[in-house]
This record gives sequence, structure tokens and C-alpha cells, in this order.
Amino acid sequence: MKPASDFSKQNKLNTENLLMIKRGIVKLTRQPSAPLTGFGMSLFFLLVYNAGIGGIGSMEIFGAGGYLSFVFPIAIISLAMGSSAGAGQTLNADMQSGYFRRLYLSPVPRWILVASPILADTLTSLFFTAILILIGALCGVVFQFGIFSVMGVLLMSLFWSLTLCGFSAGIMLRTGQYQTAAVITNAVFPLIFLSTTFLPRELITAEWLLTASWANPVTYILEGTRYLLGGTSPAGFFYAGLIILAFTTIVSLSFALTSAKKIKV
Amino acid sequence: MEAKIQIKNLYKTYSNGTQALKGVDLEIKNGEFFALLGPNGAGKSTLVKIITTIVHKDSGELSIWGSNPETNFFQIQKIIGVALQENEIDPGETVENLMVFQGRLFGIPREEAAKRANLLIEAFQLTGLRRKKAGVLSGGNKRRLHCALALVHNPRILFLDEPTAGMDPEARSEFWKIIGDMNKNGVTIFLTTQYLEEAEKHASTMALISGGRIHYSGTISNFKSMVNKDNKCSLEESYLQYLDIISKNKS
Repeated sequence: MKPASDFSKQNKLNTENLLMIKRGIVKLTRQPSAPLTGFGMSLFFLLVYNAGIGGIGSMEIFGAGGYLSFVFPIAIISLAMGSSAGAGQTLNADMQSGYFRRLYLSPVPRWILVASPILADTLTSLFFTAILILIGALCGVVFQFGIFSVMGVLLMSLFWSLTLCGFSAGIMLRTGQYQTAAVITNAVFPLIFLSTTFLPRELITAEWLLTASWANPVTYILEGTRYLLGGTSPAGFFYAGLIILAFTTIVSLSFALTSAKKIKV
Repeated sequence: MEAKIQIKNLYKTYSNGTQALKGVDLEIKNGEFFALLGPNGAGKSTLVKIITTIVHKDSGELSIWGSNPETNFFQIQKIIGVALQENEIDPGETVENLMVFQGRLFGIPREEAAKRANLLIEAFQLTGLRRKKAGVLSGGNKRRLHCALALVHNPRILFLDEPTAGMDPEARSEFWKIIGDMNKNGVTIFLTTQYLEEAEKHASTMALISGGRIHYSGTISNFKSMVNKDNKCSLEESYLQYLDIISKNKS
């Protein structure tokens, strides 16, 4: 048998990356508990909140989209959170089984070992986001710019998912403990309740909550998405949300990829 | 013979203060069947992990085929095969898929990787289990798979850390036959084991490490005659006597 080094010229650029991403997606489809839980949770939130307090959607402040369009962004946010809870789920499982060390000892660049499960999780999250958007549209969620609104929502979801997956993976790799994957989701969870999640700013009476919501990046993601849906928020929120998410994505991915050099196997 | 692995004055202290290696010097030549022996906590695993770049050294020099594995990581990974103590297998994947995927990670085209996987599955007597998930295999079969995975890319240097732990006698015999054939074909074997009878039977050279220092490095027959002039003792007896001498010298 020829040694592997003799095949180096046949090894196309990014072959390892594609192999690893494919593996990540295949593994998620075989064990879809995390993305399905996230999807189910989001759908549940959407239905329950709309059924419980959807009646206030007739108020002028909720615009033509009603309460369903108003509360829809939280389903998008919680979907990414649910999907990224074990992020990367594959990375997590590989660390638990010890298989990650074998991957680490292969000639695959270490950043690919980190980036591929993050990308696999993000792509899965985007897939379920697209289904959620379809269900939302069928149930009456308004997309005021049509396909552009859909693309904008997917873009926000992509950045949000990358942010969560990147931080989770980075923490796991630096600590060498797969149990720490959920730290970032647990840290972000309270932010959802310190924002304009269920009611617009105008209906929030507690000053401290209003102040906290302005300092909360989740607010800009929610309001930015609302601009794309029912148009109940100004365009500035969408741009601010995109800038914040682009920044957190860069920080998160940098954190994850630099963790590749500090992996504890 | 050209030295394939050269280690000079290697030091390693872990963050908890444990000084694992205290100036290790070692040279392993082309095509050798080398055994690194020593008691638990002597620094064997640390040394293997440093050579295979899993753990970073504090100071000292290390080269494999004249290259520093820390700076030429990818080239080195293609020529070494590693089977450490812990089984590193994906429990959710089938034996066959794991083998093929391993080859693909090393840049081997799919068809060739499948061919190699078949050969190794047969050689390691895993044929009836090829479509089984790795997670449901018995301890011994997991160990066989773990070792087979280290061979898919046909490495030129093979690191084996307690490779036969958990294998039944028949599997051990088959395993050593495969490794022996590889060695005859020029593959350098770096074995770490507590089964001294296996080391004596298969290896030609050895080093004895204790307390993070190399106390002996050379041929096994020289070691035995150094400890017992008549060279009639087994490696295990010589090894135990030598450890006794080291501990008496320390005290």
C-alpha cells in the first residue's frame, strides 16, 4: 500500500472541510434531537404566545401583521438557541467519545475540525428556520418586503446561530469539557426576557426593563426582524441588529478558531 | 541506520506542577521495533503525546525524519500512525464507514480508502462486524478497530500505547503478526506496554523510563545481560531488578 503522503497531490483543496461538514450534517440527521427540540420549542412558543395574548394584536401598535408577526422573531431566536445548545453537537459527541483526538491526529487543519461542526449546526439551524418561516407565512405572518424579508430573516438567523455555535465550541475546546457547551445558551437565555420580546417598548411600563432592553443586543435582533416582517420597528433597528450580529459573529468565530490552537484533547 | 526519531533534553511540567519529563534523550532508528518501558506515571504516555504533538513540550529538541513535528505538523501526521491507550472511535458510525472515512481524512481517494479498509477489516478479523456500529462492539473488538484505524494511511512510523489491552489471545497473536509484517516492511514501531513478555518477544530495542528520566536505552539483549551477566533472566525479571536498583539508588 502506498503511504498517505503519496496521495497529497490528489487531495483537492477543501476536501477535508467538505468531508467534515458532510459528516456533521449526517450525524445531526441521525440524531436530530437538538435541532428538532429547538424547532419544536419555537413552534410551541409561537402558538402558545399567539393563542394566549394574540388578542392584543388588534391594537394599532402591532400594525397589519398583528401579534403573530410581532412575536415571530422570538421563535427564530429560540430556534437557533435550541439548535446550538450542544454546539457543535458533533464536536461535543466527538469529545465525549474520544474520537476528536483521532481527528486531531489526522492531517486535517485544526481550524477545519472546529469550523466544520459549527457550520453543520448552523446549516441545520437555517434549514429549520426556513421551515418555520414557511409555517409562519402559512399562518399569516407578514413579510413586508417579500423575498427580501425572508432573506433578511435568514441572514439574521445565520449570524445568530454562528454566534452561539462559535462561543459554545470555543468554550468547550478551551476547557476540554463537553459539559460547558450549554454555558453560552444559559447565559443568553435571560437576555430574551430583558427585551421587547412580548410587548413593544411603548407598552413596557418598568423603567429598569426599558433601560435594560436598550443595552440588550437581543432587542436589536428582535426589532430588526420586526422591521422585515410587520414593519412595526424603524429600519435603523435592522441595520443596528445586522452590525451587532456581524460583530458578535466575528468575535465568536475568532474565539472558536483561536481555540483550535488551545485544544485540550 | 538513519535516526528517525531524535529527542534531546526534553522537559515537560504540567500546569498542576507534575514534572513528567526531566531531560529525556532518545534516538530511534529507521525500521526499529522499539519498546518504551517503565512503571505507571514514569512519563511514557507524556513522551508519546509530545512526539505525536498532542501535548506541547516545555523545552528540548524533537525531530521526526529531520522535521520538527510541531512546525511540520501536517507532513508528520501523514507518516505516523497513532493508537493511544484510550479507544478513539466514533460509537455511532459503522466499522466500515469509520475505516473509509479515516482514509479519506488522509487524502486517500474513496475507492482506494475502501480497498484499504477491506484489507484491514479482514486482517483484524472484523469482517462479520463491518456493518455494526462501533459503539456496540465488545471491548476487544473496539481495541482491534482502534488499532486498525491507525494503519489505514499506511504509516511509516507507528506509535502503539498498550495496543493489546483487552484483546483475547487469538486477537493478540493476529495483531502481532500484522505489526511484525509491517516492521519487516520497514515500518518503525514505537511500542509502549506493560506486557513485558510481548515487548521481549517482538521488540529489538528498548528504553526504560522512570521518574521522567531515561535510565537505559539500547537493545533488549544488552539490557538483560547488563542486569544479569548470564542473560538467562526474562525481560520482566531484569526490568524488575533494574527498577529495584533505581529505587535503591534514589533512596
